[in-house]
Amino acid sequence: MEYGSIERELHVDASPEVVFEVLTSPEYIKDWWSAETDTEMEAGTSSRFTWTDANTGREDSAPFTVMESDPPRTFSFRWTYDEGVVPAPGNSLLVTFELLPTGEGTTVRFKETGYRELGWEVAKLEAEYNDHRQGWDFYLPRAAALAAQLASAR
Amino acid sequence: MSTAVDDDLWSAIGDPTRRRMLDLLLAGGEGTATTLSADLPVTRQAVTKHLLVLDRVGLVRSAQAGREKRYVVDDAQLARAVAQLNAVGSLWDARLRRIKSLAEAIQQSKNTKR
Repeated sequence: MEYGSIERELHVDASPEVVFEVLTSPEYIKDWWSAETDTEMEAGTSSRFTWTDANTGREDSAPFTVMESDPPRTFSFRWTYDEGVVPAPGNSLLVTFELLPTGEGTTVRFKETGYRELGWEVAKLEAEYNDHRQGWDFYLPRAAALAAQLASAR
Repeated sequence: MSTAVDDDLWSAIGDPTRRRMLDLLLAGGEGTATTLSADLPVTRQAVTKHLLVLDRVGLVRSAQAGREKRYVVDDAQLARAVAQLNAVGSLWDARLRRIKSLAEAIQQSKNTKR
């Protein structure tokens, strides 16, 4: 895995208009991200995502700012930044969705960038680490944690 | 979980000097502020400060050895740090799958109405 960014591309059997709506309307964001937000996604809008733990009732929230909203082609926002700062390259992560009409459906290009600028480039560290500590004591807890997170993300 | 990332842990690892120090500690098995500063372009005092940051988030553990502290990398905490970053990618995979199935369900119901 390259830690500078996360990039994915997938085909969706739905029009770009439908995909764009799913990406940007609070109603659907609640479904795919379990995140509550109260705002329409227009460029320059700042608001918060709020997640509520169903078991404990504990709330967790994070500010975000819409960078670009160009229906039905591009949607991007910055998040993972400190309270009160103006999000910009170097202090936040940038999430971008690009929608390309493909046949009857849509190709979705997803990207989350900014890890390297935030100092998250640990590929080298991980390589060193794996060289030195191969084995189940590393992979087993990791798989368990991942399974738990995926389960809770559903 | 929202970001699945522990901010303190990540800002500790975020500094290139501290990452290099972790590399050196992993390669050498252990180290002191003196041995680490010999391999780095920073002073022993600066290394000591960085070690305190790493210690605070549990990435290294120390034992007194004479006049100096000897540091080792905490395997479990480092594994946790690495796992968190991998988990970020997996979480997006799960969200994208959900986006796909939602959009396709909406499209299907639209097509049926037509």
